[in-house]
Amino acid sequence: MPISLQINGETYEVNVPIKKTLLDVLRDDLALTGTKKGCDSGECGACTVLMDGKPVNSCIILAVDAVGKQISTIEGIGGIMELHPIQEALVAHGAIQCGYCTPGIVMSAKALLDSNPHPTESEVREGITGNLCRCTGYVKVVEAIMDVSRR
Amino acid sequence: MVDILNIENEINFLGGEVLLDINYWEPESLMDAVSILANRGDQVRALAGGTDLLVKMKKGPINWKGIVNLKGLTELKGFIFEGNTITIGALTQISALIENPLLNLHFPVLIDAARSLGTPQVRNLATIGGNLCNASPAADVALVLLMYEARLLIAGANRSRKVPVREFYVGPGQTVLQQGEILTAIEIDLPPLNSKGMFYKLGKRKSHEIALVNVAVLLTTNPGTMQIAKARIAVGSVASTQLRIKDAEDSLIDSVATLSAFIQAAELAKTAVNPIDDVRSTASYRKHMVGVLTKRALVEAWGGEL
Repeated sequence: MPISLQINGETYEVNVPIKKTLLDVLRDDLALTGTKKGCDSGECGACTVLMDGKPVNSCIILAVDAVGKQISTIEGIGGIMELHPIQEALVAHGAIQCGYCTPGIVMSAKALLDSNPHPTESEVREGITGNLCRCTGYVKVVEAIMDVSRR
Repeated sequence: MVDILNIENEINFLGGEVLLDINYWEPESLMDAVSILANRGDQVRALAGGTDLLVKMKKGPINWKGIVNLKGLTELKGFIFEGNTITIGALTQISALIENPLLNLHFPVLIDAARSLGTPQVRNLATIGGNLCNASPAADVALVLLMYEARLLIAGANRSRKVPVREFYVGPGQTVLQQGEILTAIEIDLPPLNSKGMFYKLGKRKSHEIALVNVAVLLTTNPGTMQIAKARIAVGSVASTQLRIKDAEDSLIDSVATLSAFIQAAELAKTAVNPIDDVRSTASYRKHMVGVLTKRALVEAWGGEL
């Protein structure tokens, strides 16, 4: 089915099977591979994107269901030459090991700080409960997000 | 009606994987949605938030012939406060419940349950209607709706009807919804004055958890006394459907609130449930915890001091 998606402010025309998820269309059809596929069942948060400003799991959304929504992915947040302050803080705090969960964490942190610029630590922890890190944990991630919120 | 696609059994080969595509509709009115669901047999699924439907679709094998996306039915979203009743559209997202100040004021137990559901990402997609229609014995929001004695508004091809939550479930994953029927809204009456409730969810993690046992209670007292006028006790994850524990509730009516009265009610709750062993927990642990959590919830709802 031919559809039109709004991603990072750009319009993309794609032809997708009904059963294809937004995540698979981002990665396979649009080469926006910054959004990761982890569990593929709405558990791990690696595939987090923003839909109309709110974090959602792109692996449990049909691409056809995303028509008419504003989608933001990690590619729209920052690049290697111009990191977003959240990305800079994650780097500065060493809040990364393998990095696979990081794009999703950045998206969740961005949604949190956009709606609540000065969250408490427990609000930060709550904000990233949908993002699983299997390398190390969340202490440095929380510190990094708290650091951004103080700037 | 937008009949977007009709390519039954078209086969695409993607990377060696056979991807059988299906029909898809985005009806723009409730009656169009009802008529597609009524005419297309039980192999067509209604899509609301998709947080359960998509996972089921991927787990396969499925014999679904199509998906009816309800997103165009904007009238099924949002809140209406009228008199002592609030009506919540079935497509209202869980995150929208949490953000609603009036719900926070009048139905704090519902908010606690909504906050405990899934993750922020899931709560932004999942709907209150989906939580009910999925008919999971472990559902958190649905359990509290059972406790608050909510009524469900159901639209069908030939009639509309209203069903109390306690009559909605037939078994795990099964409801009284007939082919072609859609849950449109949930009606809840404000609880009586002098009521206080509590929700407890037992899990192995603080968040992102499916309840091993969940309990929702509401105590209504006679003003100015230590006497209980009415008690509501609902438990989940411990039987094929969520339960109100009538024996335990009745034991508290007109009784004075004491620790021993609450312990007795909790024992009755424990006796009434019939949990199973599964991958998440054991029957005996769940049964034990129904007693523990019911007592704890009643004591907390009373105010914590006895």
